[in-house]
Amino acid sequence: MVASMAVASAFFPGPSSSSVVSAKASKAIGEGPENLGVRGIVAKPMSVSGAMEVKAQAQALPKVNGTKVGLKTEAQKVEEDSPSAPRTFYNQLPDWSFLFAAITTIFLAAEKQFTLIDWKPRRPDMLADAFGLGKIMPDGLVFRQNFSIRSYEIGADRTASIETLMNHLQETALNHVRSVGLLGDGFGSTPEMSKRNLIWVVTKMQVIVEKYPSWEDVVEVDSWVAPSGKNGMRRDWHVRDYRTGKTVLRATSVWVMMNKQTRKLSKIPEEVRAEIGSYFVDRGPIIEDDSRKLAKLDDSTADYVRKGLTPRWGDLDINQHVNNVKYIGWIIESAPISILESHELAGMTLEYRRECGKDSMLQSLTAVDDDDGDGSAPEGSPGAGIECRHLLRLECGAEIVRGRTEWRPKRAQGLETKGPLQAATV
Amino acid sequence: MAEMLRFCAAAGLIRYSEAAVAAAECRGRRRWAAVRCSSRAIPGQEAASRLVAGVGAVGGAEGKGLAERLRLGSLVPDGLSYKESFVVRCYEVGINKTATVETIANLLQEVGCNHAQSVGFSTDGFATTPTMRKLRLIWVTSRMHIEIYKYPAWGDVVEIETWCQGEGRIGTRRDWILKDLATGEVIGRATSKWVMMNQDTRKLQRVSDEVREEYLVFCPRTPRLSFPEENNGSLKKIPKLADPAQYSRLGLVPRRADLDMNQHVNNVTYIGWVLESMPQEIIDTHELQTITLDYRRECQHDDAVDSLTSSEFAENGSTNGIATTKPHDQELQQFLHFLKSSGTGLEINRGRTEWRKLIR
Repeated sequence: MVASMAVASAFFPGPSSSSVVSAKASKAIGEGPENLGVRGIVAKPMSVSGAMEVKAQAQALPKVNGTKVGLKTEAQKVEEDSPSAPRTFYNQLPDWSFLFAAITTIFLAAEKQFTLIDWKPRRPDMLADAFGLGKIMPDGLVFRQNFSIRSYEIGADRTASIETLMNHLQETALNHVRSVGLLGDGFGSTPEMSKRNLIWVVTKMQVIVEKYPSWEDVVEVDSWVAPSGKNGMRRDWHVRDYRTGKTVLRATSVWVMMNKQTRKLSKIPEEVRAEIGSYFVDRGPIIEDDSRKLAKLDDSTADYVRKGLTPRWGDLDINQHVNNVKYIGWIIESAPISILESHELAGMTLEYRRECGKDSMLQSLTAVDDDDGDGSAPEGSPGAGIECRHLLRLECGAEIVRGRTEWRPKRAQGLETKGPLQAATV
Repeated sequence: MAEMLRFCAAAGLIRYSEAAVAAAECRGRRRWAAVRCSSRAIPGQEAASRLVAGVGAVGGAEGKGLAERLRLGSLVPDGLSYKESFVVRCYEVGINKTATVETIANLLQEVGCNHAQSVGFSTDGFATTPTMRKLRLIWVTSRMHIEIYKYPAWGDVVEIETWCQGEGRIGTRRDWILKDLATGEVIGRATSKWVMMNQDTRKLQRVSDEVREEYLVFCPRTPRLSFPEENNGSLKKIPKLADPAQYSRLGLVPRRADLDMNQHVNNVTYIGWVLESMPQEIIDTHELQTITLDYRRECQHDDAVDSLTSSEFAENGSTNGIATTKPHDQELQQFLHFLKSSGTGLEINRGRTEWRKLIR
């Protein structure tokens, strides 16, 4: 870990210069990547014009070399060539997308350099989509990954579903662990944990959604870890709209260590602490802990009960357990349709008790408490927020998940048919 | 756009020669489009050029969505097909540590949508042309055939190329080729057949040549098939299952998550349903190599569906009522499927799957 930190700081200029750079870059292209340090350019003061000079070099290359020019060659070339760009490039200021593409490609070259160790040998080219694998931020602690919302991730109300967003959180968490070289076997366990048959198990998850993204939006997910008590870990996420920078959602989760075989909770062994301790951030949770007790529901206290829920093949992860995110889908499924059509999920708190597999038959119980906490809207009126309590359990009664959800009225959508021209906004 | 292509070439993302052609194409198109609009031209082409000009004028690069600029998806140099790369995400991976067939089907759908959008068709999920919208026509899938030779794993990047062309008088087909971007090897192929349906009457409709020309202008004229070989599986008729079925899963209900932007059950959900009645012993030991689905009726979101499966060849090697005999291959298991509405018993779709033994 220490080694990689040193390497990271070598690649990126110190905080002060990078913020200057990012201010400039931000002005030029909106919220671009925060750091533009590149191995070849670290020596020069980094500036917007510097990027253009690099572009100039890159433009020259194909003409000299003919066909395929690898990224690696280009980055090295940048180092060697003297940075005297023809003035004409300034005059032919291209559209910003080109500048952005230039910066992105430089950035990819840099990323390739320091993530080389994590790449499988059979992938010689750095051709993953520009935001496919994410990166560690200059502080070495926060991991950032971007996701483009794909068409099949859009739900019936034309926005990304909460499951999609939660899936992105899961993907980011795994890529974070992978990018710092701590991916043991299976998903999420570090090598020292795998040796001891230990796994992380999520016990609590809190999410607050401020705005649901639409098709083709790009979201930027930041994630980091922190200690939770003496033997737990907390992972937080902050998701933003890449284009506007506005918050999409915030989430915090608590994890405990468990022995895979005995299913007993375990202390964090010293060796594991050595692996991950340096990644712990000294920050409070991004969402205030909702410590209200989640009361247990039963048939008499629930307003709605949905039985016969069974996992499909596609719901299972590699351990043949139902993916955590699917539970959220079931919980939402069994909320009354009247709420689903008029309201959107604003927040939720979940407590995970047990996992289930393919042969499980589940039931979902929902109780609706529709009083708005601050009394701002009369009960039952369309403007009121709604709160629900949930329980997912096996037929035999064993609890899987307990939860609380908060709903707010949907904003007027007003998007009937989005033609290509209307949709084309920057 | 042109500079971006040149720069992408510099970055080794696309070959320089491709970039040059594409750049010329783009510049050419914009100029050509401008000229065309002011002069008489073949109606279809004029419409097409207006579409391109529209995209070009508003776009250039500013008009295009941020995702499109960042995405590694674009029309290939001759403009007749579209390529896009996707990275496989951890939650798209199934019990075999590889992408599920539903993930693959989702990506095929996604790249098809993006192709339609990149040539200027509507993005409301229907991928309709302006004339189609005027005539209240939408696309409906009639057949889907997917073959996967090698499933990608988490973190792999898959490059999918897609194109469409006319099929007979009333149909259109869309073909895909999937490649592992790193190695360049073909990991899968797919083809699908589409027809036009009137949105209001829900009846299939023949269309005039003008309407077909409108979207076919972006499609190769000389046939290009992802399954060029004769007697390939994508053309085989799928017989109805004999009663009673060997395996079944009854009462499957669409979840809210199965509905697409248009409140219809997503095509990919049917694939999941067809696989639901597969026996565990096959799922544990085999990998889906081929799936062919014939879509007959759509499922409403409050319908329940029954999924039925039977092995296509009985154990002693005799066929299940099919004319052509096939040598009973131990390695490849074949199944017939039938999805019907629980309530009415009407057929929703029928399918065939082939499974190859997993080497563990």
